[in-house]
Amino acid sequence: LSDAVRVRVAPTRARLEWPVSARLIALSILVLLSFVAAVRIGAVSMSLHTLFEAIAGRGDPAMVTIVRELRLPRAFQAALVGAALAVSGATFQALLRNPLAEPYILGVSSGAAAGAVFTVVTGLAVRMVWSLPIAAFAGAVLSMLLVFRIAFSVGRALDTRVLLLAGVVVSAFLVALIWLVLAFADTESVRSAIFWMMGSNANASWRSVSILVSCLVPAFIILLALARPLNLLAIGESTAAYLGTSVERTKLVAFGTATLLTAASVAMSGTIGFVGLVVPHAVRILWGSDNRSLLPCSALAGAAFLVAADTLARSIAGANELPIGIVTALVGVPCFVWLLRRPTGAIA
Amino acid sequence: MVGALGIYGCLASIACGAGEHRPPAASASAIQITDDAGIVVHLDRPAERIISLIPSATETLIALGATQQIAGRTRYDAAPEVAKIPSVGGGIDPSVEAIVALRPDLVLAWANDKRQAIREKLVSLQIPVFILRTEDTTDIFRGIANIGRLSGRDSAARATAAWMRASLDSIRSSVAALPRRKMMYVEFPDPPMTAGPHTFIGQIISLAGGNSVFADNTNLWPNVSMEEIVRRDPDLLVVPVGEFKQNTLERFRQMPGWRDLRAVKQGHVAAVPADLVSRPSPSIVESARVLRNAIHPEAAR
Repeated sequence: LSDAVRVRVAPTRARLEWPVSARLIALSILVLLSFVAAVRIGAVSMSLHTLFEAIAGRGDPAMVTIVRELRLPRAFQAALVGAALAVSGATFQALLRNPLAEPYILGVSSGAAAGAVFTVVTGLAVRMVWSLPIAAFAGAVLSMLLVFRIAFSVGRALDTRVLLLAGVVVSAFLVALIWLVLAFADTESVRSAIFWMMGSNANASWRSVSILVSCLVPAFIILLALARPLNLLAIGESTAAYLGTSVERTKLVAFGTATLLTAASVAMSGTIGFVGLVVPHAVRILWGSDNRSLLPCSALAGAAFLVAADTLARSIAGANELPIGIVTALVGVPCFVWLLRRPTGAIA
Repeated sequence: MVGALGIYGCLASIACGAGEHRPPAASASAIQITDDAGIVVHLDRPAERIISLIPSATETLIALGATQQIAGRTRYDAAPEVAKIPSVGGGIDPSVEAIVALRPDLVLAWANDKRQAIREKLVSLQIPVFILRTEDTTDIFRGIANIGRLSGRDSAARATAAWMRASLDSIRSSVAALPRRKMMYVEFPDPPMTAGPHTFIGQIISLAGGNSVFADNTNLWPNVSMEEIVRRDPDLLVVPVGEFKQNTLERFRQMPGWRDLRAVKQGHVAAVPADLVSRPSPSIVESARVLRNAIHPEAAR
């Protein structure tokens, strides 16, 4: 079982022996609390009374707009992106049997960034606003296809080590391409591109939320359905095959779905680091690496974490918004270290 | 020469523009202007609550006497007149929430954001956005005329433009008899970057009697190599500096590459206030005077 152990960061750590339903209820409450904070807190402060009025669509039209058109869609987008990155990260960690795996490891973010930079530098993004997320999504999917093409050209079955290396080199190539283009671009394009690459949910709207829902919900369902085969894969590919899993198909569907999850979220909010790496690990430390619990728990924890981080990013410095990636790392790292160093009680 | 042409060209266009764009007779106060992104912006009446996401547009509003109509600004605005007006964050990453809360009837935004995300967002919330380009002097004069019309201060805008033209003319004639000085504007020393001939700074330098050694580079803000600077051997370096950077000459005497330049060895390094020369607003008149005094100290009165 050495492979399975390697997936866990701290296999001897004490686990909270909660039933899965209790975990999900606790995390749902956390998501709810983060939403309350997200609609309550912002650059503009308002009383609870004004807030309820605004949610109901009454009172000051400016406050109604702020709550219903700015804060709510933004909270939903952050939740969806956080859930997508966390689930995608958990899937990659299980598939690659590597604790350093994260949603961007196969070059998805570099592909998306290449697409986005292309529309910024050519001025396409100025003429057609939706060209940027579409190009980012297309770039992500194309880079994924390229990575898989390379991985499949080596050996007969999909070797995850080759896949990992293909992801790293394709990513490095795309990053070099991006900086090559930016080296010849004007200052404004460079600044716009860098702002995009830092990631933000500032452009969330009900339209972007509904697009995300229609992409992410089917992907979540597919990955949840693959939870048991993923558990078997974590033990080892040959063992999984003996136990009746069609290894190659599971890997392909899981990789593809997790990559699409990442691509959709990167297209809408740029690259937001750290969530996809650390949220699954945090859930694993608390409750173990059974994917049937890990995947839904990671989704809820990722959602709550990113909604809270986004709320901090847009409120902590008044009207000056911080890039959300700064907040996810600055707040997330100490929390994660605390989880790692938690005193061990009864060893599970 | 380029600067002179640019300014005359735009004055001509303002003169035409004033005739063409009279408000329609049906509603005397309605305003309809095409912004610098090519989009027609419609206002029912001159804007009363303007949020300026461009510090130079804020300066223009102040110069036109419209300070009372400024409802919001960015954190980069330095003018004391707007110190008490709330900030909405940065120019290309403002807090949309703070903008909405100020109930603006017009937002002035930069053409420089290549993503157009802010415009899309604000327009979807029924807040009119007017995009301004601020690269050359033509943009500056067109911007002053447009801001004048949007804020209902047409005549102040015309008077300001006329005063600017007269002042710039007198600065140009003060150096007309002097030899043009071979110089370089050092926007950034490492990696070296200068102002191209099509930027308002490049045009003002030309008007103020300077001859940039990189006047042949048509990029707006060209990155240039140290080797090429040495080869073109400027007589004078003009360096924009912030308030914290003391003794510019000493810094250049220590910087590799720069310290071997003839202009630096001879001590021909002139510092100009970065805040002033980087603002594409009516303050280009003051900026032209400062640059003229740096390039031709003998012409300073």
